[in-house]
Amino acid sequence: MKRLPPVLLCLLLVFSSALSATSKPTETLVQTVNKALDIVYGDCCVEISLEEKQIKVRELIESNYDITVLIRRAIGRNWNKMNSNEQTQVLELVKQLVVKAYVKGMNGKGRPEITFDKTIQVSPKRIEIPSVIVLDDTPIRVLYRLGLMGSDWQLFDIVAEDISVISNFRQQFDDHFRKENGADLITKLEELSKKDDLDENIKL
Amino acid sequence: MKILNSNLSFYALCAALIGASALPVVAQDDADLYGDDLAMTASIDDPLEVFNRVTFDVNDFVYLNLFEPVADTYAFITPDSVEEGASNFFKNLKYPVRLVSNLLQGRLDGAWVETGRFAINTTVGIAGVFTPADSVEGFEPIPGEDIGQVLGAWGVSEGPYVVWPILGPSNLRDTLGFVGDRAVNPLQEPLSAIEDWNWEWKLALAGSEAIASSPTMIERYKQLEGSSIDPYSSMKNGYTKYRDAAIKE
Repeated sequence: MKRLPPVLLCLLLVFSSALSATSKPTETLVQTVNKALDIVYGDCCVEISLEEKQIKVRELIESNYDITVLIRRAIGRNWNKMNSNEQTQVLELVKQLVVKAYVKGMNGKGRPEITFDKTIQVSPKRIEIPSVIVLDDTPIRVLYRLGLMGSDWQLFDIVAEDISVISNFRQQFDDHFRKENGADLITKLEELSKKDDLDENIKL
Repeated sequence: MKILNSNLSFYALCAALIGASALPVVAQDDADLYGDDLAMTASIDDPLEVFNRVTFDVNDFVYLNLFEPVADTYAFITPDSVEEGASNFFKNLKYPVRLVSNLLQGRLDGAWVETGRFAINTTVGIAGVFTPADSVEGFEPIPGEDIGQVLGAWGVSEGPYVVWPILGPSNLRDTLGFVGDRAVNPLQEPLSAIEDWNWEWKLALAGSEAIASSPTMIERYKQLEGSSIDPYSSMKNGYTKYRDAAIKE
């Protein structure tokens, strides 16, 4: 049996390790999205309340990604306009709001069909995973943007139909902090989380 | 021994390469986590914010208290197929706007596809109610173009953001584009292709079109508004980014 030349062997090793570097985060994302949909639509969770679904979805997301990174990116430099106590409260309230929006927005609709396209390697530390979500017969293009942060691939933006979720929230935070402060933001977020009629229509 | 050394160096290099691509990069600080985005401020020219916010609130009331019941009733009494057919019909009527907009941007391919789609959908698709062109190779749907996009492609800047009563979010460029769309559309004055095109007909057409598109519009509006901390800012950003992307497409 012929042995592989060292150069070829090394190239294969480099190639395969680069491949696994992008396939793992893709697998993780696909699994996370599908498991989240299982919680909202699956037989396993028919009996549980919306609040319990929210807890399960949040646990699932937090087991794979750090939602704090997404929220801090959305807040941007406004982060430093809040004291540490306000920062903690805002993080928690926005997490609750976002998860609630996801679960309640999906609830009552047919399970969306999601197709993931080939992962795009933007740079050694950045990848993008395009997908198409068909919700109520309407296709929506969604791009997941991930970055290698520390030892993990972290979701750092979601772009739906060319509108970046982070950019959209950044606009809202920027507009808020031009006239108001962290305490006002907390009041606003608390009001939103209590607003039942909004929750009925809330979608992400 | 020399050979062994060179082999060792070679394997060390390979190991380094493998390590670089497989192992995580060393832990980073805040700047790496949040990157240049920390300094990035979302800037949309909004000198009319006070006026815009009032109009936004009035529109919000009108959409959710006047339009939504109409949209819900329409969606309830109309089978999905009829709803879709009505939407297709009105979209087909706007072919001249899409044709002219493609031509003004020098997009001959787009003009050709739009023309083919119009011909197929108007004839085989019974006045555009159905869209058989969707399954004809080379004539699949393409993103629609309008005069606002033409102005953007020509380098006209978006100008100040503005919220118009009933019409909703826009900017100076798209407002001019809206006027241009109406001028290009032969079903609307001053270029009406139909004789005796009196106001009753125009009102009936505009009303029907508004009702036919209302369920989708209201649904999208509520989606954007529902998950927002500040719906006005969210809408402003969403509209502006969406239009930017449409121009660059």
